[in-house]
Amino acid sequence: MKRGLLDVCVLAAIKDEDSYGYRIVKDLSPYVEISESTLYPILRRLESSQMLTVRTAEHNGRLRKYYHITDSGVERLKQFESEWKELMQIYEYVTREGGSHEQN
Amino acid sequence: MSKTEFIEQLRSALNGLSEEDLKKSVDYYEEMIDDRIEDGIPEEEAVSGLGSIEEIQNKILKEIPIANIVKEKIKPKRKLGGLEIALLVIGAPLWVPIVLSLIITGLSLYMSFWTIILSLYVTDFSLFLSGVFCIVAAFMQTNGFATGLFLSGIGVALTGVSVLLFFGFNQIVKGMFFLSKKFVLWLKKLFVGEKKSSAEATAV
Repeated sequence: MKRGLLDVCVLAAIKDEDSYGYRIVKDLSPYVEISESTLYPILRRLESSQMLTVRTAEHNGRLRKYYHITDSGVERLKQFESEWKELMQIYEYVTREGGSHEQN
Repeated sequence: MSKTEFIEQLRSALNGLSEEDLKKSVDYYEEMIDDRIEDGIPEEEAVSGLGSIEEIQNKILKEIPIANIVKEKIKPKRKLGGLEIALLVIGAPLWVPIVLSLIITGLSLYMSFWTIILSLYVTDFSLFLSGVFCIVAAFMQTNGFATGLFLSGIGVALTGVSVLLFFGFNQIVKGMFFLSKKFVLWLKKLFVGEKKSSAEATAV
């Protein structure tokens, strides 16, 4: 569960514009616990499953890799969204019942 | 640890991976350190914040299939000379069976792993089924009330045991997966990581 969740977070971090490793970690750190060494296998997995593509660009006289989301990556995010909409409905149902029970 | 030291240690920890895997991993960590330094983190801290070399090595190895690692190890590093090829051919009756038996051992380990899991659940399912059949038989039989009571008692007991065992088996399977992951990582580490570094150290 957690592993798949991190994959989705990484995709979400690059969905609006291409990003690079360090920035992805920084962008995600307020929301999930992710380190550079956790990110690395995720990026490679997403690359091999063709959810993102990698390009190398020069930055300050050195090379930096930028990650770009593909169509199937976008598809994966949409799938996540619909899965969670369902779950949230269940969550609301469950918590509402608990609340009314306490009031009695 | 400085960046150069870190990169050097990482490279030797990953020694044995394919050229491509090695370069990709080292490039990634180099980029991370550079970005951290550029962000204002001092070099020492930028390196230490990435975690220990062993942690990083474990994470990278977990993602690379063991077959790739073994293949990389077996592949000759340079072109073989005529004499070497001749020796390989002459030695074939010796090394081919050894390699074959290693492959077969690996395959049978893999198969027995899944067979154990399968047999656990088949056992459990058959217990459950016999329980259900006993209960059904208790109502279908014509030997009287006592037999019916006996059969349904056994049926309920069997079904109960099968449910309990199901949870027990789940734990066993979980443990098996945990141990097999550790075992595979250990196997991978036999092939990856600098072994000659100690020799180099004594040479220095």
